[in-house]
Formats: sequence, structure tokens, C-alpha cells
Amino acid sequence: MENLFQLLSPRILAVKNGMSGSSRKSKKKTIIMIIVGIGFWTLMFVLSTKTLRYFRSTEIIGDILAHHLLSMLFLTFFGLLIFSNIITALSNFYLSNDLELCHSSPASLDEIFLSRSIFTVFDSSWMVVIFGLPIMMSYGWVYNAGAGFYFDLVQLGLALTVTASGAGILITVIMVSIFPAQKTRDIIMLLMIFLVIALYIMFRLMRPERLVDPDAFFSIVQYVSALKAPDHAFLPTHWITEVLWAHLREKTNDSYVFNVLLLWSTAGALVFINVWIGRVTYFSGFSKSQEAKRRRAGKGILDKTVMIMRKPFNDDLASILEKDIRIFFRDNTQWSQLLLLAALVVVYLYNFSVLPLERSAIRLEFLQNTVAFLNLGLASFVLASVAVRFIFPAVSAEGKSFWIIQTSPLSIKRFLIGKYLIYIFPMLVLGETLIVLTNRLLDVSTFMMVLSSITMFFAIFALVSLGIGMGAMYPRFKFENITQVSTGFGGLVYMILSALFMTVIILLESVPVYIVFMSQMHKRALTGEQWAMIAGAFILAVAITAFTIYKPMKMGIKALNNYE
Amino acid sequence: MNIIELIDLTKIYKGLRAVDGINLKVKKGSVFGFLGPNGAGKTTTLKMMAGILKPSGGRIIIDGMDLAENPEGVKSVTGFIPDRPYIYEKLTGSEFLRFTGGLYGMGKSSNLDERIMELLELFELSHWSDELVESYSHGMKQRLVMCSALLHNPRVLIVDEPMVGLDPKGARLVKDIFRNEADKGKTIFVSTHSLGTAQEICDEIAIIQTGSIIATGDPETIKKQAGTDGNLESVFLKLTEGPALAHGKSLSAS
Repeated sequence: MENLFQLLSPRILAVKNGMSGSSRKSKKKTIIMIIVGIGFWTLMFVLSTKTLRYFRSTEIIGDILAHHLLSMLFLTFFGLLIFSNIITALSNFYLSNDLELCHSSPASLDEIFLSRSIFTVFDSSWMVVIFGLPIMMSYGWVYNAGAGFYFDLVQLGLALTVTASGAGILITVIMVSIFPAQKTRDIIMLLMIFLVIALYIMFRLMRPERLVDPDAFFSIVQYVSALKAPDHAFLPTHWITEVLWAHLREKTNDSYVFNVLLLWSTAGALVFINVWIGRVTYFSGFSKSQEAKRRRAGKGILDKTVMIMRKPFNDDLASILEKDIRIFFRDNTQWSQLLLLAALVVVYLYNFSVLPLERSAIRLEFLQNTVAFLNLGLASFVLASVAVRFIFPAVSAEGKSFWIIQTSPLSIKRFLIGKYLIYIFPMLVLGETLIVLTNRLLDVSTFMMVLSSITMFFAIFALVSLGIGMGAMYPRFKFENITQVSTGFGGLVYMILSALFMTVIILLESVPVYIVFMSQMHKRALTGEQWAMIAGAFILAVAITAFTIYKPMKMGIKALNNYE
Repeated sequence: MNIIELIDLTKIYKGLRAVDGINLKVKKGSVFGFLGPNGAGKTTTLKMMAGILKPSGGRIIIDGMDLAENPEGVKSVTGFIPDRPYIYEKLTGSEFLRFTGGLYGMGKSSNLDERIMELLELFELSHWSDELVESYSHGMKQRLVMCSALLHNPRVLIVDEPMVGLDPKGARLVKDIFRNEADKGKTIFVSTHSLGTAQEICDEIAIIQTGSIIATGDPETIKKQAGTDGNLESVFLKLTEGPALAHGKSLSAS
């Protein structure tokens, strides 16, 4: 195993060099990232603490709810980890550029396999750990947990992470050995189906909507029994939940040693099984993935679609549009995200369809309209997340071929307008679908329906402009994988600015909504002052939206013109 | 008549003068060789001429137009072939050419497909026209980029290291095409490490070292400047004695 460290060292050195040799600009970026990170952690911690305190103050069911939530959290994290590991393993074991160098070196197959496994554990787990840590800390804080809780959280958290990675890697290695290597499209398709099934199972196990609907149960006993942990005794998440819960409730736990041993032995067993299976199948799978990729392009529907879409545009813009559409549907890493998007929309709409609003104590129309209004913010957050994945990387997607655009007579302005036109129509369809369908499910007033549809319509123009403009301001043409582009600094700034924009618009529009709603409730006509306030709020909202449509594109054009 | 004029062209990277006030004139219909050791400033100069890098000073005049004042005009009469052929891997060869045709305003032209087929045949790629670019070899990608650079019949062709990755047959093909195109009136501005290529196809040569032009003229004049009678290789080695890189630091891909 003497080469294992050598195989790991490029990553370690890259991190070290990235930290020590950074310029003033990148230091500034790091500081902003740290501030945003701390802000996010604090927010998560405060929100979790408040929720847990509220639970604790509720008699009988409070602790059960907290226990249920802990179990749900681990189940969610575990599911996310397995899925993230499957995807990361595919790239780390079979697609990375440095694999040729590793396989041509005298390192043994076991060493290569283990080094790639370690990369996969880190690459796929850090995000989940960062998101999960403040919530776990708030459990410790609210329940005054002792050192044992934190110790077991770290060591069993590690065991759970290794278990999830082991399972993810195993699935990937088996799938690649079954499918011909060039059929990555089929593998991704299968993964997506797994994901949708996993999402469905998770929702059916948790049934989150029942928790906010006590009326649906005949008695408190039924309600409490419905709250029983959603996991299964054979799941590693059950073992870690039980150990940590015993710490939190300061109970003696007879099965402590048994659960700890179960977790670590499962993790260890998966590592051994993986290395063993890796010996048998990894090299042949890798070898097949390196074989020549002579491939004819798919024709037919794509050709017809492209021909129709080209028609309204000039030659140069039509060429950009055609190229981007063809590349999008031929690149497995790009089109497959559409399936994720579809899953997201279904889950979103499903959540609205099960909201038990009519059983709430609050006046129904008020609640419906408030939820519809908040939905505007939520839907725009979904759109911003979609935009950061698809629109923000649109300029960077040119990659190392950007020289073709630079040396062509197409101006940067027209190039960015072309990119804008590609994304504006699908985003309008998605945004309006989300808003109109959820409003229908909520059965909101006509005023609310019109207001939120129009707001969303114009906000999308601003969100797309922000995405294209920021993407041009923070281009990253030298990427290993296009998905890395959206997770960088520019992507973070985009998310913050979109959230800020939508918050301002929603706050401004809340003025007229409140005034109109109150006047309708009290059956009073609007005063002149109220009309002025309504007009003022709308004018300001329109001005801010217009500015957000114009400015980012302008800045993007300038930045890309100066790009070297 | 001069079709290319570089006037006091300068490029400074963080205080480092990668290209240091060069002046050059290139005649219409000639093959102009741009030679120099690694890191001398060749690729930087070519990238400025192609509109990829912004000069820190000086002017670039192509076909009577100033690149800074009329970039779109200059780009519509030039074609650029970079040393590394990065192109969209998920397009087929013919789709890629149709795409570049569109960028140069030829999309609605009735003879675009005819022109594409003509070039694919010329560069011996017609059997591969419906294959995705990702399945091409390096040399095939290089030849496809050459097709795209010639597609719109540019008056000036700017070429960076054309022979990298080409097999001897491909190299011969490209040299013949360049010579033919120049004879038909196109101007080829080519940077190369291959002194044999320069000697074979270039009408005029400039040698750049540490960002400055140290010799210019036809191969015979340069031999005289160097005071040697040998082949171009010994002339080149004699002229480029001393620091190879501008200020002793690496500059760019050249």
C-alpha cells in the first residue's frame, strides 16, 4: 500500500497550494465564502434550535417529534449520500482525466481502487456534512448533551458516511460491469429511475403532511403511533439514531455496543466487499470505458426541433441556438438533469396538493393568499436553483472552444442575447406552470392569481438576465465537469442576488396585497393615500425589475469583452 | 500591397512585456512565416491578431481595417487556426461547419452545403462528416478546424503551429493547400517551430525573440543578415542565441 499516499498526494497538494498561493482577489472570495458560510450555519442552527425548543415545550408528543425528526434527517442524509456517491464514483473511477496516468503507473489495482474510493467519500460527503452539522449541533445544545453525544456523532457519522459511500461505489462498479462502457446514457437513466423511486419511498415512509394534520387521526394514540420512527431496524440510520437519542435523553442504552458494532462492521464489510469486487471487475470496466468512441449522432426528432426553433432568428443567433440545443441533448451530464428537474417539480406540486389548509384554525382565504404569496418566493427560489444549474454555466459551457466565438464576427452582445433567448422560453413555461398550478391547488383569489403570474413573468426575465450576466462576469472555461461551474463563487453570488431580488419584490408587493385584502375583508373602499401607496409600491417593483433585467447583461457584455 | 500591418504592437502581462512594440508588414497573397523559440511571444501575437487578446498598445490593421475600431469587420475577413483544436465534441463534423458558417453569415447561403462538402473532401474528412467530433483523432480535429477557417473564404488566414499532430501525409496535404490558397490571393500568416515547413512554403519570414522582432525578410535576406550560408535551422540557431524567453519567464502557450 506504499503507493496509496502517492496517489492521494495530488489532491492534498492541490488543496495546500490553493490555500497558500492565493491572490488578493481569491482571498477576498474566500473571505466572502466564509462569511456566507458562517451566516448560513448560524441561520440553520438558530432555526433548528427554535424548532426543537418548540417541540420540547409540547407535552407528550414533543420528544417523539424530535426523535422522529432526527430519524428523518438521518434517512434523508443517508439517501442523498448514496445517490451522490453513485454519481461521483462514476466520474472518479471511470471518467477522470488523471486515470490514464494512475493505471499506467506501477501502483496496484487495490491502491488505485482505494484512492478513488477515498476521493469519492470526500467529494460526495462534504456538502451533506456541512448542511447537517448545524442541525446536529442544535440537538446537542437544546438537550444539553454530554461529550459522549459529540464523540459518537463524529465517529458514527463517519461510519455512516463510509457505509453510504461503500453502497454507492458498489452500485456504480456493478452497473458499469453489466452495461457496455459506452452506454453511460443508460446508466444515468437507470440512476434517475432509482432516484425517483427513492424519493417516492422516502416520502411514503415519512409522510410529512400527516404531522401537520392532527385532525386526520381519531385519537392522540393514533397520532403518536403515526409518529413512530419512519426507518427500519435493519437500516444503519436506525442504529445511529438510537445511539444518539439515548445520549440526548440520558437513558441507559442496552443496545449501545451492539448498534456501534453494527455500524462499524457494516462500513468495514462494505469496504472489503468493494475491494474484492473491484479486483474482479474494476479494470475490465475501466478498460472498456477507454475504448474508442466512434459514434454516429442521433438524428430525427432533434433535427426537426432545431429546424423549427431556428426560423425566427437571424443566421448567427440561430447557429448558437442550434449548437446549444444539439450539445445539450447529446451530453449525458446535461440532459439527465432535466429528469431531476421533473422530479423536483412533481415533489413541489405534491407538497401543495397535500397541504391541509381547510382544517386550519386560521381564516381560509387569508391563509390561502398568504401561502400563495409565499409560494411566489418559493417558486422563484426553485427557478433560481434551476438557473444556477443551467443558465449560469451557459457562457462557461463554451469551454475551451470559446476561441471560436472570440474570433468570429459575432459580437459578444449578440452572443449573450443568443444565450438569453435560448433560456427565456423554457424558464417562462416552468415558472408559470409552477405558479398557476400551485395557485389552482390552493384555490386562491383572482387578484392573487393575476398578481403572482405577472410578477413571476417579469421576475423570470430578471432571473435569466442575472444568470447570463453573472455567468459572463465569472466565466470558467477550463472545467473538468460543467456541473463544477455552478458550485463556484459566481454561482453563490448569483443565488444570493436572486434571493435578494425576489425578497425585495415580494416585500414591495406585500404592501398592495395587504391593503387590498384588508379593504375587502372590512368591505371598505380604498382611500387616496392607499391608492398612492399601491401605485408607489408597483412602480418601485417595476423599476427594480427593469434594472435587474438591464444591468447584469450590460455588465456581462463588458466583462466578456475584456476577457483574456 | 500590404494586407496586414502591425504597428508598435505590445502586450504586457503583469509588468512582463510578452510582445514588445513589434512592427510588421505582410504582402497580400504571400505565406508569411513567424518563427521564434518557445515563449518568444508568437502565440500572443497571433491571438491578438485573431481578436482573442487585447493589445496593451499599438495597432493591428488587416485589409485596411483597424481591429480595435472594427473588430467584426476584421474578423469577417480572417480565419484563425489555433495550435490546439478545441472544438465542440458533441457536434458532428458537418454540423460544426454549418455552425461556423452561420456565425459568418453564410447560414442561408444556398451553396453552404456544397462548400462544406468541397472542404471536407479537400481535407479528406468526407467519410467522417456525420461522426461526432469526440471520435476524431487529434490530426482530424486539426484538419476540421482548417476547414472551418477556410469556409468563409477569408482574405487572411492566421495559423498557429499547423503541423502539430499531423501525420506526414496530412502535413504534406496542408502545406500544399496553404501554398495553393496563397497563389489564389489569400494571405497566410503562420507561426511554426518547423523550420523545414518555413523554408518550404514561406515567401517571407520574421523571427521573434523575447517579444521583439530580430530579423525579417525573405529566407535569403535573413541568411545574409545572420552572416551564414547554411540552412534555415543554422540561421535560426545563430540568430536566437542568448535568452530564449522574454525576461527569462514563460509567457504563454507559444
